[in-house]
Amino acid sequence: MLKTAMCCSALAIMCAGAAQAEPLQVALVETLSGSQASTGLLYRTAAQYGIAKINAAGGFRGEPIKFVEYDSQGGPVGAADRVKAAIADGARVILQGSSSSVAGQISEDVRKYNLRNKGKEVLYLNLGGEALELTGEKCHFHVIRTSPNAAIRFQTLTKGMKELGLMGDKVYSINQNYSWGVDVQSIIKANAETVGYTVVGETLHEVNKIQDFSPYVAQIQQSGADTVLTGNWSNDLLLLMKAAADAKLKVRFGTSFLDQPGNIGNAGSVAEGNVMSAPFNPELNDATKAFAEDYKAKTGHYPAYVEPYAVFGMDMFAAALKSLDDATGPVSANEIVLALENTKIETPVGSLSIRAEDHQAEMPMIIQEVSKEAAFKVDGTEYGFKPLKVYTGADSADPVQATCKMKRPG
Amino acid sequence: MLKKLVAVIAVLALLLALPALLSESMLNASVQMLIAALFATAFALLCGQAGMLSFGHAAYFGLGAFATVHAMNAFGGDGLLPTPLMPLAGAAIGLISGLGAGYFSTQRTGTYFAMITLALAELLHALAPHLKEVFGGEAGISSFRMPAWGFEFGSTIEIYYLVLGWTVLCIALLWGLTLTPFGRLVLGLRENSHRLKFLGYNTHALGTFVFALSAAFAGVAGALQALNIEAANYVVLETQVSTAVLLNTFIGGAKVFFGPAIGAAAMTFFGHVTSDLTRSWLLYQGIIFMLVMMYLPRGIVGEILARFRGEGGAVNPVAVLARFAGILVAAAGFVMAIELTQRFFSTDYKAARQAGGWPAVEFAGHMWAPFAPLTWALPIVLIAAGLGLVTFINRREARRQEAQI
Amino acid sequence: MEQIVFALLNGVIYGLLLFMVSAGLTLIFGMMGVLNFAHASFYMVGAYLAYTLQPVTGFWLAIILAPLLVAGLGIFVERFVLRRVHAYGHAHELLVTFGLSVVIAEVIKMFYGNFPVDYSVPSDLNFSAFALGGMEYPFYRLFMGGVAVVMFAVLYLMLTRTRVGIVVRAAIYRPRMVEALGHNVPMVFMAIFGIGAFLAGLAGAIAGAFYTTNPNMALELGVVVFVVVVVGGLGSMEGAMLASIIIGVMNSLAVGVNVSLADVLARVGLGDWARETGGILTLQLSSLAATLPFFLMLLVLLVRPSGLLGEKE
Repeated sequence: MLKTAMCCSALAIMCAGAAQAEPLQVALVETLSGSQASTGLLYRTAAQYGIAKINAAGGFRGEPIKFVEYDSQGGPVGAADRVKAAIADGARVILQGSSSSVAGQISEDVRKYNLRNKGKEVLYLNLGGEALELTGEKCHFHVIRTSPNAAIRFQTLTKGMKELGLMGDKVYSINQNYSWGVDVQSIIKANAETVGYTVVGETLHEVNKIQDFSPYVAQIQQSGADTVLTGNWSNDLLLLMKAAADAKLKVRFGTSFLDQPGNIGNAGSVAEGNVMSAPFNPELNDATKAFAEDYKAKTGHYPAYVEPYAVFGMDMFAAALKSLDDATGPVSANEIVLALENTKIETPVGSLSIRAEDHQAEMPMIIQEVSKEAAFKVDGTEYGFKPLKVYTGADSADPVQATCKMKRPG
Repeated sequence: MLKKLVAVIAVLALLLALPALLSESMLNASVQMLIAALFATAFALLCGQAGMLSFGHAAYFGLGAFATVHAMNAFGGDGLLPTPLMPLAGAAIGLISGLGAGYFSTQRTGTYFAMITLALAELLHALAPHLKEVFGGEAGISSFRMPAWGFEFGSTIEIYYLVLGWTVLCIALLWGLTLTPFGRLVLGLRENSHRLKFLGYNTHALGTFVFALSAAFAGVAGALQALNIEAANYVVLETQVSTAVLLNTFIGGAKVFFGPAIGAAAMTFFGHVTSDLTRSWLLYQGIIFMLVMMYLPRGIVGEILARFRGEGGAVNPVAVLARFAGILVAAAGFVMAIELTQRFFSTDYKAARQAGGWPAVEFAGHMWAPFAPLTWALPIVLIAAGLGLVTFINRREARRQEAQI
Repeated sequence: MEQIVFALLNGVIYGLLLFMVSAGLTLIFGMMGVLNFAHASFYMVGAYLAYTLQPVTGFWLAIILAPLLVAGLGIFVERFVLRRVHAYGHAHELLVTFGLSVVIAEVIKMFYGNFPVDYSVPSDLNFSAFALGGMEYPFYRLFMGGVAVVMFAVLYLMLTRTRVGIVVRAAIYRPRMVEALGHNVPMVFMAIFGIGAFLAGLAGAIAGAFYTTNPNMALELGVVVFVVVVVGGLGSMEGAMLASIIIGVMNSLAVGVNVSLADVLARVGLGDWARETGGILTLQLSSLAATLPFFLMLLVLLVRPSGLLGEKE
């Protein structure tokens, strides 16, 4: 009798063990300290928000998702180290977004790990590394990019500005001299004929090293341009706009990262009338308003800059997990990737899907301008972003790059 | 001598046994620590022993890494050398670039020498992203460790032993170097290069050679890093890498042979552990560094060795323990003050405040309200008590020593 | 023609800003032999303090009070940090200031966050001074240049025409002798450190409003300031002025020069080969504007290590 009782209890423990499957572990590897931390911390906030939403809805296969943060300490070397640590700690999904160089490293690390550890694959969800080569020659099955890229941003920006009558005939293209800026410059040039403008000047300058942009502004002035297109971000964008305003240069800026926190507050009236193409605007419709308010209630601020599309990326991930939720036991990265390829979700701005050929997300892009009429003011100023035009995911998509030769499993 | 031998053998045995003792994540941290230790030891040959402060050692570390990645990718990925011998590529490029850079920079001394090394490293760092074929642009260059000699080189354990082997070999070589007449000449370069010149030595050639040797071993360290992460990115040429090795070296003690290695390992470990625990870890690192420079000028290892040699009077174990306790108490109070301040000014707190009022934050398992007296009184009392204890012990020790004289 | 005038004016004024920050650094180096890594951090602290004070005191008082507070910080650092490590040698002094720069940056981030704060030029100063060839020139730039020139004049007169100046200059060359003559050299050191910090703080308070005030501003300026001091000659005020202006103008002019090595080689018929080789040969000068100062520094160090106007090696 005693024996059977013991047997039963042992069985019960085993059963409990089986039912209580290993929770799915998701690791955020971001730059959370040092001089590059600002963007990394935004991705962290967005990822936390997304994970909290999944767990509030019951988690995955009966278990809340285990979310762990790793500080990559700024560079690819630290990131490589942290990815190893995260995988060793049991993470099956890696999240990262703040830098293309780190994205390149993680993408390669994941590829090599998966080659060596068949059956224990890991998925890398790239929330924001926008370099084209990540969905080009470096693309592989286990990396998915949920953010836009240079082509998506600047094709919609140039088309949109033209259609809205905000684009002049003479365009000056000024960009940072690294892969992102070079990508942007070549797209601006390539679109000149189809959209209808002339590029009267091009400049590539060093990244985050220039204090005084007035010489560049003098160049723009000299070229006679009426529109300046730039992929610059952070200080390089801010200083450029300020220098242009100080010289009373009458140009309109077309940008991609104008909504970085602090930019409008710092530029003030200088930014008014400038245009941006980005995947989100809070005053677009009731759904975006509700999302913005909910985000603010949870995190203390309206979603801005990289946060909205990082959250949409997380929503995409959540939807893919939901489609796999009816089974039990651990889930493989391959299953998640396949589910992501077949998932299409409706975000507040419109439908979002992942293209199977190169794992680039297709998402709506919104052309918006800095205006006093915007409903959502930013940085405590009287300005905000007013939506002007929406491109659906299909409209804004760029063709798959020929350099992407993805090997699918099996 | 026997004592030293026993110590070295014990440390080696421990290092060999580590994979059995540590989790994979900690083992990975150990690999980083070994690489940092080798880099710091190589750097200290130049900076500690020859007395030439270089601000640009990231250049040679980085070149070593890139040379290795290219060597790994040579012949369609088969590699120029078998995987375990790859660091030779790093050593070679480090030696060559070190000879060139050393020839120019050692023509000057002191601050001017430091500035030339800085300028060279900055130039390389600025040019690297433009030379896409060599440095791979922003995404860097990726490579793959090929199996060799019957090993896969896929697991962390294999990498650990590979890195350990190279680190021990290189540090042993550098150690052997200090025992040779050449090693004594290097010290002479630091202490009195004029006299060396009068004795008929070519100090410029000597300086160049020391520079090149240091760069070669830094190149090996870079190569090991490239092997470990199977990639190289021009970010390794950054100034931060140069300053990190400098700081590590001085924290351990630049003039003691094993000081830099221990300092580098300790600081790497510190970063590994604290960066995931607190947002303010760089602040702590900066403060530790300042305190070491101000109160332990010979570095941590240097000061401990000096105490063992009996400098500064006989060691009173009770006083040492009491000082330690005092420092720990003060540090606890300080950490608490910093962490609470950081939390109250964070964006998370701004979010929490939306509901109105001033909610309490969590620290060390308790909730602390921003305007409660205890929240700020406790750290202040801890700091005061800790520092008070240290001051009290110092005064008493000083009196005791006076009485002995 | 107007373009060149503008480029020169822009360059000179940027140079004057560099001078404001580097003046203190070169003074400190000249006297104490310390390359103060935290000097650019004083610049940043000046900007943040002025930003903090501005709503309470107004702009003008803020740009006077902020540098005074920075001077206080500088004196504190000299008295309680640097003096302590002075005996251990220059390497330790340099490294302790490096640690300090990390600490300052982290503390700023803790209180003000990671993003730039909205510190900007007050609207009654935000007008254009004159127009030339359709381009307007902001008054505030001239104001920044003016402050730097006044500062240079005051420092120069103080160093060359007053008794204090004589003691200071003597202490630069022979500190021990000056001490033996009965002057309180540690006191002079402290005062110089305070003045140096004041100047950097003033530069920060004024330039922070014009450029941006963010936690990385010290990092961005820090290395360039070193270059200025080395190129000008360590310890030479006039040298720092000259080097600042050269670097400012060089920066400003290089931006407009879209020439690469390949274009130069084309003159001797190697253009096609160079363009095919690519890499460094097709790199345009304009994209290297911020790197040029390092070329200059390297050149100066190898050819004339004491700097353009320095006498001390």
